[in-house]
Amino acid sequence: MPPLPGSGLAKGLAITLRTMTRRSVTDEYPDTEPALPPRSRGTIALFEENCTVCMLCARECPDWCIYIDSHKETLPVERPGARARTHNVLDRFAIDFSLCMYCGICIEVCPFDALFWSPEFEYAEEDIADLTHERDRLREWMWTVPEPPALDPAAEEPKEAAAARTAAEKAAGREGDTA
Amino acid sequence: MSRPARVGALSRLAPDPVKLVLNWGRRYSLWVFNFGLACCAIEFIATSMARHDFIRLGVIPFAPGPRQADLMVVSGTVTDKMAPAVKRLYEQMPEPKYVISFGACANCGGPYWDSYSVTKGVDQIIPVDVYVPGCPPRPEALLQGILKLQEKIARESLGERYADGGADGSGRPDGPDAPGRPDGPDAGALRRGLVRP
Repeated sequence: MPPLPGSGLAKGLAITLRTMTRRSVTDEYPDTEPALPPRSRGTIALFEENCTVCMLCARECPDWCIYIDSHKETLPVERPGARARTHNVLDRFAIDFSLCMYCGICIEVCPFDALFWSPEFEYAEEDIADLTHERDRLREWMWTVPEPPALDPAAEEPKEAAAARTAAEKAAGREGDTA
Repeated sequence: MSRPARVGALSRLAPDPVKLVLNWGRRYSLWVFNFGLACCAIEFIATSMARHDFIRLGVIPFAPGPRQADLMVVSGTVTDKMAPAVKRLYEQMPEPKYVISFGACANCGGPYWDSYSVTKGVDQIIPVDVYVPGCPPRPEALLQGILKLQEKIARESLGERYADGGADGSGRPDGPDAPGRPDGPDAGALRRGLVRP
């Protein structure tokens, strides 16, 4: 049986009417902030106070897009007869975001929690050299790093927090003894 | 490679108020030509669909071909095999033309920067106006790159863009035999901090 004349038109108009009455799904991006998923991989922030220049991130990076320079400084001798201690001082820490493939291996391997994911993505540049973010820019990204997710209910206390708490309790107990 | 710019004298020598209007017209009607070469093209398509919808910004993804396009978005890995086609289609676009390099592979080769067959960045063959970082970038990152390009178009002057005549796009010399870009950092600045082996 041939279709009723005009049934296609009616069907089309019904669809138009249905979509017309619904809200559009479009995100008004430049005017409204996008709803980013948790753990969104936008850029990598450097908390350089934690960096010990162990170079693990630069060595593990599959792209070799992390540049680190450092030098050693000698600390003054604490006790006579002791050996002078040296420590590394960070000179340059740069990530080439034109090369970075956002795998997060550097963040995973960092043993001192100096690298973090930040959800910021708005850093398109007109010159490719500007995509190499030096340490001050990487440090600025640190302000955009979200809070870590909360622990599971009834989770074990983090080791660092437990150690700090026992130390504080011990110190308080000693003060109580002397007083 | 070196050929005179093909943009009319009228728009090249227009007085400032006219330039303002011309730039305003150009920045909000960018017919885009998607050079999708790899996974980044999916993000480009996502940007063109209803959720992100870059027609809101005046970027129109219905160019029938490069001859009708103003903006080329190179999204994906440019291989040496594909490079002549990229160059050729870029040259078919009418002046003034703009290029957005989308994603790590198009920016500088990305994960394939040591590959025998991958061009180390599309800017080795055509001049790029905006680099969008990411692997792949978010659709919003492309929108931000487009906004950046629109800002660039708004403040540019075609007379300056095509000032040296020999350049073939954004007024910068390109190609492997061209001297270093005058506006970019020199080789010394790029090698700063590198240790000689």
